Amino acid sequence: MRIAVPTVRARLTLWHAAALTLVVCLFAVGVFVFVRTSLYRTLDQQIREDLATIEKVYREETGDLGELALRTGMQFEVTEGSTVIHRTAGWPPAGAVPFRRAALDDSTHRIIAARDERSVRQTLWTLAVIMATAIPCAVGVAIVGGYLLAGRVLAPVGAMADTARRITAESLDARLPVANSADEFGRLAGVFNETLSRLDAAFEQLRRFTADASHELRTPLTAIRSVGEVALQRSLPTEGYREVIGSMLEEVDRLARLVENLLLLTRAEAGRIPLSRAIVDLRELVASVSDGLRVLAEEKNQELIVELSGPVAVHCDATVLRQGITNLLHNAIKYTPPKGVIRVAATSNASGDAVIEVQDSGPGIPAVDQQRVFERFYRVDQARSRDTGGTGLGLAIARWTVEASGGRIELESMAGQGALFRVVLPRF
Amino acid sequence: MRVLVVEDEKKVAKALREGLEAEHYDVRLAASGEEGFFLANHETFDCVVLDLMLPHRDGLEILTTLRKRGLQTPVLILTAKDTVNDRVRGLDSGADDYLVKPFAIPELLARIRALLRRGRPDQILKLQHEDLDMDLVTRRVVRSGQALDLTVKEFEILEYLLRHVGRVVSREMLTRDVWRVAARATPLDNVIDVSIARLRRKIDDPFPVKLLHTVRGVGFVLRRERG
Repeated sequence: MRIAVPTVRARLTLWHAAALTLVVCLFAVGVFVFVRTSLYRTLDQQIREDLATIEKVYREETGDLGELALRTGMQFEVTEGSTVIHRTAGWPPAGAVPFRRAALDDSTHRIIAARDERSVRQTLWTLAVIMATAIPCAVGVAIVGGYLLAGRVLAPVGAMADTARRITAESLDARLPVANSADEFGRLAGVFNETLSRLDAAFEQLRRFTADASHELRTPLTAIRSVGEVALQRSLPTEGYREVIGSMLEEVDRLARLVENLLLLTRAEAGRIPLSRAIVDLRELVASVSDGLRVLAEEKNQELIVELSGPVAVHCDATVLRQGITNLLHNAIKYTPPKGVIRVAATSNASGDAVIEVQDSGPGIPAVDQQRVFERFYRVDQARSRDTGGTGLGLAIARWTVEASGGRIELESMAGQGALFRVVLPRF
Repeated sequence: MRVLVVEDEKKVAKALREGLEAEHYDVRLAASGEEGFFLANHETFDCVVLDLMLPHRDGLEILTTLRKRGLQTPVLILTAKDTVNDRVRGLDSGADDYLVKPFAIPELLARIRALLRRGRPDQILKLQHEDLDMDLVTRRVVRSGQALDLTVKEFEILEYLLRHVGRVVSREMLTRDVWRVAARATPLDNVIDVSIARLRRKIDDPFPVKLLHTVRGVGFVLRRERG
């Protein structure tokens, strides 16, 4: 057996109608009970007034009771003990006509009066009939109205679904229409659009990466191929062949390093690089990296200032973090002109986190590029030759090593004023 | 010295054979796992170079079987997989050393020399080539009677070059063995080049005969020859 799942529109309408019916019914019952009570209270009040009149006549002029009955049309009976003093014609009222009665008891006598309650019953009946016809009509109107209203309210959802269905990887720049950004559907569309934007950015990054990677991989391949082809077109002296082969091997080296770096990043992103964490003294790490790269700075007559203050212990994989710091410092030396100053510091900030700062005095990084310098293959100077540029993966790897160590990497730079890379790691 | 090379990739096999023969090894080539297994079982070798990715029969499986049969020959495995797990599996299966593809032939030769040396304690206290003398105990370096002032790193590089005298030493070998950095993605090549240039200034510049040469695209070599 299959139970069809009703649409949101139908469910909304049904719930709405059910709630309305319940409320209207409760209201109708309330009204009916109230009207009935007050009608009978009035009737009882009249009967009590009749009783008072009858009693007064009985006490003053017992003989006038008959005349009272005739003039007023009252129905009553007066008894003293078992003796009937007066009884109106047709007493006791009974049969088809409903009567309401009340009694007044005294030590000597007893008066019972009755009044016709047909008009009360008639009123109540009319009220009931009106309600019984009006309620279904009202509920019917509510269902139809609710259905139409739900349709109108839910229309944006259908539109969103249609638009969303048309959005694919190729048309990620499309966005859902936002009628009113303040209401629920507007917010939903807004959130969906934000997700689309992120997805679009991710795809864009992937496209860029693929294009860059193929460029970076093809360039050395092209060089190897053309160098080899040109060399084979004519005879060369032995020394010439050595040069050619050496040149090809250099490109192979570049290619191998590129593949190495790409594999490292891919594994890192897939979380497939196991980290062996230990407590590491950042001062030692920074000092050792600086010592290792100092020759490069010396060769360019640069001043490499190393500032180490206080013991700064962090919990991380020293090999991984070393690679990141090496990349940062290597970069700083590369971009600082000869005789420039490079500053490396290991310290801690106000909130107790460990901080490594690598400051160069190079050309700096324009604000527009700062977000993207950590992307794979991103180069600030697009035209830069591969001779000065490395693989274009150094900063991407540096960022990974820092993030894998539980930290974050920040960049402060203004064009023309050098760049400051700051690594912040949670202190152990 | 007989070396068995089990490698199915023809070009690589040819390069290995020529590289090893240039060092005067007697080389036998096996192009498949079965052939390699058969040769290793029926002939005696001083060293086996085994590719792990072989058709039909996995290199590791062959190695395990050979070791179970009591083969003692040192085995160097070649692999394109370089995750820690792959290395551990290789070494656990009975390999003595591994090299990750793409590897440099000079490095392969150095590894094989090391494997063949294994078990023979290194008693060298002095290294010498031409008029260059290195005392490993006093850590003094003298050329033509003239003492040279080397930094610790420069001393270590020169020691490494002297131990591989006449043979090409690649940047990767220096990275691993002198700088002791395992991560191949670390950009140390510039540091190595600068360090080599400085070493050359100290040991070669003041003297007419040059010893430290750059082999373009491969690495460095310490020998007396055409400048």
